[in-house]
Amino acid sequence: MQINWFIIGIGVTAAVVLLFRDWRLTVAALLLNYLASALFLAEQQFVPPDLAFLGRAISSLVLVKVITGFAVTMILGVTALTFEGEYGLESLDEFGLAELRRAARVAQRQQANAPFQLSDYVLPFWASVLALLASLTLPRVYPIAPTEASDFAWYWLALTGLLTLATASDLLKVGLGLLLCVSSIDLLYTAVVSAPQASGLNVVPVALLSLFNILLALAIAYLSGLLYGRLKTLELSELYKR
Amino acid sequence: MLYLLLIFFPITIALSTFVLRRRTGLVIFIALGTVLTQLLIATQIPVDDPTRLLGVTLILSALSRTFLLVFLTLGGFAFVAAWHLPHGENFVPITLLILAQVGTVLLLQDPFITTLLLALTGLTAVLAIVDLPAGASVLVGTRAIAAALKYLVLMVVAAALMYVAFVLTDIFRPDELPGRISPARFILALLSVSFALRLALVPFHTWLTDLVDFAEPLVAGIVITLLNTTSLLVLMLVFQTFPTLLFESEVALSMMRLGAIVSAVVAGALALAPASLRHTLAYLVLYNGGMVFYGLASASPVGLAGAIFGALNQTVAVLLLFVSLGLLERPDGRAPSALRHDLLRRWPVAGAGLLAGGMALLGLPPLNGAVSHLLLYQAAAAKGWGELLPLLVATLFAGVGLARSVAAHLLGPGEEAVAAEPLLLGETELDRPAVRRLDPEPRSTAALTLLLLLICLGIGLYPQPILAMIDEAIRGLAFIRVL
Repeated sequence: MQINWFIIGIGVTAAVVLLFRDWRLTVAALLLNYLASALFLAEQQFVPPDLAFLGRAISSLVLVKVITGFAVTMILGVTALTFEGEYGLESLDEFGLAELRRAARVAQRQQANAPFQLSDYVLPFWASVLALLASLTLPRVYPIAPTEASDFAWYWLALTGLLTLATASDLLKVGLGLLLCVSSIDLLYTAVVSAPQASGLNVVPVALLSLFNILLALAIAYLSGLLYGRLKTLELSELYKR
Repeated sequence: MLYLLLIFFPITIALSTFVLRRRTGLVIFIALGTVLTQLLIATQIPVDDPTRLLGVTLILSALSRTFLLVFLTLGGFAFVAAWHLPHGENFVPITLLILAQVGTVLLLQDPFITTLLLALTGLTAVLAIVDLPAGASVLVGTRAIAAALKYLVLMVVAAALMYVAFVLTDIFRPDELPGRISPARFILALLSVSFALRLALVPFHTWLTDLVDFAEPLVAGIVITLLNTTSLLVLMLVFQTFPTLLFESEVALSMMRLGAIVSAVVAGALALAPASLRHTLAYLVLYNGGMVFYGLASASPVGLAGAIFGALNQTVAVLLLFVSLGLLERPDGRAPSALRHDLLRRWPVAGAGLLAGGMALLGLPPLNGAVSHLLLYQAAAAKGWGELLPLLVATLFAGVGLARSVAAHLLGPGEEAVAAEPLLLGETELDRPAVRRLDPEPRSTAALTLLLLLICLGIGLYPQPILAMIDEAIRGLAFIRVL
């Protein structure tokens, strides 16, 4: 049996997004996930190649996916790196400034009192096991895409995305879950609609999907920036506490 | 060319107004000019005359044109209201962007592009929810961020489900693969959940209550009038494009009707509970959404006419409600935490607008919702008492909820009705706080409220032209003929 390394890449990177909390790890995993998805599309040749790259013929669609992946992860990465900056403080009144100082103290205290706990990873771990079982079963029970590999890939991305949403404890991770879900439908659309019996790929939905990915990343970055600027943390529990 | 203008002109103006966003007056005038130009362009585009652009068909049907004109007019009204009502720094550019997106959705037939554009409207609305006024000295509320996040997540999930459903329709062949779960049912289930999320049907409604609670009234009004109504029109387009889905699965249609009934009844029951004015309004909107969705799910000419008319009425009534709410929530000299019971006396035009908007959503005559509700009841009666009775109960619940809320917030005794306490020993009249002299309601917004109220009344008293237009539009819908 031939091992499909790109499928393994998609699987491992999505699992890292679901399991881990550190944004440096999860955003990097998301970038690798986009790359693995693009390479998987190139390997499956859903769209005929029309470009020569490093001596290999690839489709321009693959290039679009890679560029989208880089843009999305750049947006999230740069936002996360610049969280420490303070913006728009000049227009705030004394109450607002006091509120910010209080939020910073609370966040600092929480960070100091929050050591690594293995129990935080139990739920995401079992969620990923469940997603794996479902993604292995569903392509046999309800195949949609032309190949079993592509069926596994989109089911896995959709399920890990949804479970990341369900188990996320911070806003950035919610965003990563949403991006995985969008990657999933992107892959499904490309695989199914390019099949001979389907209507065929159209450039506008493909372009809009990439634009949507980028704008979604921008929206997540904007909300994350707002939340961090307000509470000095991205924890969702703090958002609903006050 | 006209199609391109309709799509890209508001986008370019939105970018310009974003640059000028701190000059509120100028930006509102530019936006009003844009809306007028858009109205002119929309009337110049020939109906049912398709054109191709980048492999995509653009067409403006009579129904789409009516809704496009309504949306643009309501957008213009929202800009007028923004002159005096609180709104975010970027309200005008965001609304222009939403108008452009919604206009594009109405021109399109391709389900994939429509889904993505609907999702993009959701992203745009998120910006409006967390938007603060220019130079605000306060921080954005955490609950507003939470409401925006909830909206974002639910809209993206809805878009993903809708997209999967459309991918399945692309390869779906009727009566294929016997023995397996019918793809038609699976597709309808995906579509039902995704549109229930977008239309805020119970139990997917919490984003709407949060939106009404924590966003500015104008933003809530724009999101509900433009985005929810557009989603409903898209659902109609889906039925029109894939009629086989409906006649392959009668059970799924029954389930959709049941969902609509449950949504209307639960929303009506929730409106009964003591709550803030905003909460009660949110439940009234949810109730009306359930009623309109029922009409669509009934898949009969009468029900569909009721749904289209109901959606049209909802846009006007909801804008009236939220403009009135914005006026009622203006500072009136009392402490922000003080409970207000005399809002009708204090702000008579806004109070009357809120009352009329609520009554229109309930379908009470002589307002615009009456005829559409009658059509919906007629469609339910055709299915039997089992469907009519819950809808009547839902209306009763919502009506009692509105009456209770109006009695609590609008019709209470005025402050001046409270007997003045006698002077204390050594106290003189001069020691007492001066009597507050409040400014009247801002003229332009009061005039807008009255205009919206008159439109509601006018449609209610003379609905024939709209009904004739809706009948004409329904005759062209293939899925109704097939069913």
